[in-house]
Amino acid sequence: MFRRRLKECVGASQHDRVVVPRQGKAAAELVAVERSDWKEVVSIVSSPSAMARDLRLDFFRGLALFCIFIDHLPTNIMAEFTLQSVMLSDAAEVFILISGYTAGMVYGRAMEREGFVIAGVRVYHRVWQLYVAHVFLFMMFLALVAYTAGALNNSLYAEEFGAANFLNEPGLAVVEALTLQFQPAFMNILPLYIVLLAILPFVLAGFRAWPRLIIFASLALWLAAQFDKRIALAAYPGPDGVWPFNPFAWQALFLLGVWLGWRGTKGGVPWLRDRWLFCVAAGLSLAGFLVRFSGTLHGFYDPIPVLFSGRVSWLFLSKTDLGLFRFANVLAVALLVARLIHPQARFLASRAAWPFVICGRNSLHIFCLGILLSLLGHLVLNEFFGGIPMQFAVSAAGIAIMIGVAALMEWFGAAQAASGSRALGAPTAGRGARG
Amino acid sequence: MTPALLRYVILAVGLGLLPSPVEAFSQERDCPVPERFYAFDPSLTKTVKALVSGREIVIAVLGGSSTLGLAAGAPSLAWPARLAAALAKRFPSARIKVVNLAVARQAAKAAGERLSRDVLPLKPTLVIWETGTMEAVRGTDVDEFRETLQAGIDELHGSGAEVVLMNMQFSRETDAMIHFGPYLIAMRELANVNDVPLFRRHGIMRHWAESDLLDLRTKDPEKRRQLAAKLYDCIGNAMADFVTRGVAAGKAAASPGSDR
Repeated sequence: MFRRRLKECVGASQHDRVVVPRQGKAAAELVAVERSDWKEVVSIVSSPSAMARDLRLDFFRGLALFCIFIDHLPTNIMAEFTLQSVMLSDAAEVFILISGYTAGMVYGRAMEREGFVIAGVRVYHRVWQLYVAHVFLFMMFLALVAYTAGALNNSLYAEEFGAANFLNEPGLAVVEALTLQFQPAFMNILPLYIVLLAILPFVLAGFRAWPRLIIFASLALWLAAQFDKRIALAAYPGPDGVWPFNPFAWQALFLLGVWLGWRGTKGGVPWLRDRWLFCVAAGLSLAGFLVRFSGTLHGFYDPIPVLFSGRVSWLFLSKTDLGLFRFANVLAVALLVARLIHPQARFLASRAAWPFVICGRNSLHIFCLGILLSLLGHLVLNEFFGGIPMQFAVSAAGIAIMIGVAALMEWFGAAQAASGSRALGAPTAGRGARG
Repeated sequence: MTPALLRYVILAVGLGLLPSPVEAFSQERDCPVPERFYAFDPSLTKTVKALVSGREIVIAVLGGSSTLGLAAGAPSLAWPARLAAALAKRFPSARIKVVNLAVARQAAKAAGERLSRDVLPLKPTLVIWETGTMEAVRGTDVDEFRETLQAGIDELHGSGAEVVLMNMQFSRETDAMIHFGPYLIAMRELANVNDVPLFRRHGIMRHWAESDLLDLRTKDPEKRRQLAAKLYDCIGNAMADFVTRGVAAGKAAASPGSDR
C-alpha cells in the first residue's frame, strides 16, 4: 500500500510539484525527479541532507530584501540600521551571493540528474521569469513617470530633467529597457541577476570538467574590471552611462556562490572548515564592521572619526565594480555565518525568524514588491514628508506588506499542495500519460 | 542626508545650551536655513580674508541650468548674481566679482575640462562648483563622477583657489524618478575627504519644501518665474551666509596665537 502510494507520488512529480504533507504541514517537496526511478527518488528524499532545507539561505535572503527596500527610501533614518551600516558590503552582495549559492545547489543537482539540456532549459525558464518581472517593474516605473511628468514639465526643473532622454523619446526608452540597457531608479539588480543566471548552465557544465579554471578565469575578469574602466556594459541614456552593477565584476561573487552551492551538494569544501580561515574571516568581518560602524556613528555624532576614509578607500569600496573590500567583506561574513549558525538552527525555525524566512523563500516576488514599494515610498515621503516618524511608518508599512504577501503566498502554496496531494488519492488518467 | 537628520536632533538639543553664533548674518527672510546645513570645518580662510580686507575678490561659479537661472528668465536673477548682491551688501568696501560660468546641461566631466581654460585664468579666490544633476539624470558611473570631481578639486586647490561644492536641487517630482542617492553620497564623501565645504542645496530645498516655506508647484508660467526668482534669491542669500560663515571662524583663526 505504502509502496503504491509512493509510486503515485513520484509519478505525479514528473510533471508537477508534489508536496508530502506530514501532520497537515508540508514536510517535503518532490521537484525535478523526471526520469528517475521511484526507488532512487525515495532514497534521495529520505536522506536527511537532501530533505532538510537550509533555512539560513531563506533567512538571510529575506533580511537582504528588507534592507534593500529600506535603503531605497529617500532620506530614511532607518537606512542607518541596515546591513550597510555594519559591513562594507550591503544587501546587494548578500542577495547575489545567496542567489548564486542557491542556484548552484538547485541547478547543479538538476544538471547531475537530468543533463545539460534539461537543466539549461530550467535555468532559462527562470531567466524568463526574471525578465518578465523586470519588464513589469519597468511598466510601473513608466506609470510613475506618466503620473509625475505633467508636474515635471511645469516645474523649475524642466530644463535640467529635460536631459533625461526617456521623457523625450519614450519609445526608444522602452526598447532600451527591453534590452536591459535602461535601468531607471532601482531597476538594476534584476538585469544583473538575469545576465548572471543566463551564463549559469555553461558555468555548471564547466565546473564538472575544470572547476579551478572557471573560478580562476572568473576572478581574473573581476580583477581586470577593477583596473580597466572599459570593462563595463554601456547603459542608456549615455554617453557615460554604465550598468550600475558591472556584470564583469559581480560575476565573480555570483560564481563563487554557485561553486559553493554546487560543491555543497557533494559534501562541501573541506578547506572551508580550516580554523585559520575562520580566524581570517572573523578579522575581516570585524575590520569591516569597525570601519562602517565608525562611519555610521560619525553621522550621528560628528567628533567620532571615520576610519579608513579617503581616496584610497574609493578604489576598494566601489559598488559598481565590486571593490576588493566589499567583495572580501561579504565572503568573510558569509563564512562566519555559515560556520556559526547551523542550517536548521532553532532560531531559524522560530516565530521571530519566520517573516524573514518566508520572504526569502519567495524572493523574486518579494524583491519586485520591494522595488515597487520603494517607488511608492518615495512618493509618500516626498509628498507628506513628516520626518523620522513618517520614515519609520513608511518603512514599517512596506515591510509589513512584504511579509503579508509572502505569508499569503506560503498559505496559497500550502493550500495548493494540500489539494494536490488529495488529488493523488485518485490519480487521473491524464496524469500518468505525460510522464 | 540621513545621518545629518539625527545630527540635527542632537544639535537641536545641544543648541539650547550653546550661544548661537553669527546671528547677525542669518536670513531674516522667509526662507531660513537651519544651522545644521552650515556645519563645516575648516573655513574658507582666504575668501574670508579677502572679503574682510576689501581687496578685489573673484568668485567663479560652475554649474548647470539652475545656476544659469534659466527658470527665472534673466541672469541677474540667478543665484550667483544674488550671492554677489548679498555679499556686496555685507562687505561694502570689498570689490566682489562673481563670474557665472554655468552652461546648461553641462556634465562634471565637461566642466572639469574647462577649469584650466576658463576658470583658472580668472585667478579666483573661491570656486563654487554646482554639479551632480546631469550625472544622476544620465546614470553616469558614480566612481567616475567621483574621480572627475576629485581631479577638479585637486587642480583648483593646486592653483590656490578655495572650493565650495554645491549639490543638486530637490523636487518632489524628480526624486522618485531620478536616483540621486549615490551621487549625493559621493559628493558628501568628496567634501569630507578634501575638507571642502559642501553647500547641501538638495537638503536645504527639501527642508524648505518640508516646512512649506517655498512650495515650488504651480501651473502658471508667470508665477513659476516669480517662484524661481524667489528660490534663486533664497539660494544666493543662503550661499552668502554659507561663505561668510567663515567670517566668524576665519576671524577666530586669524586671531593672535592661532594664525594660519
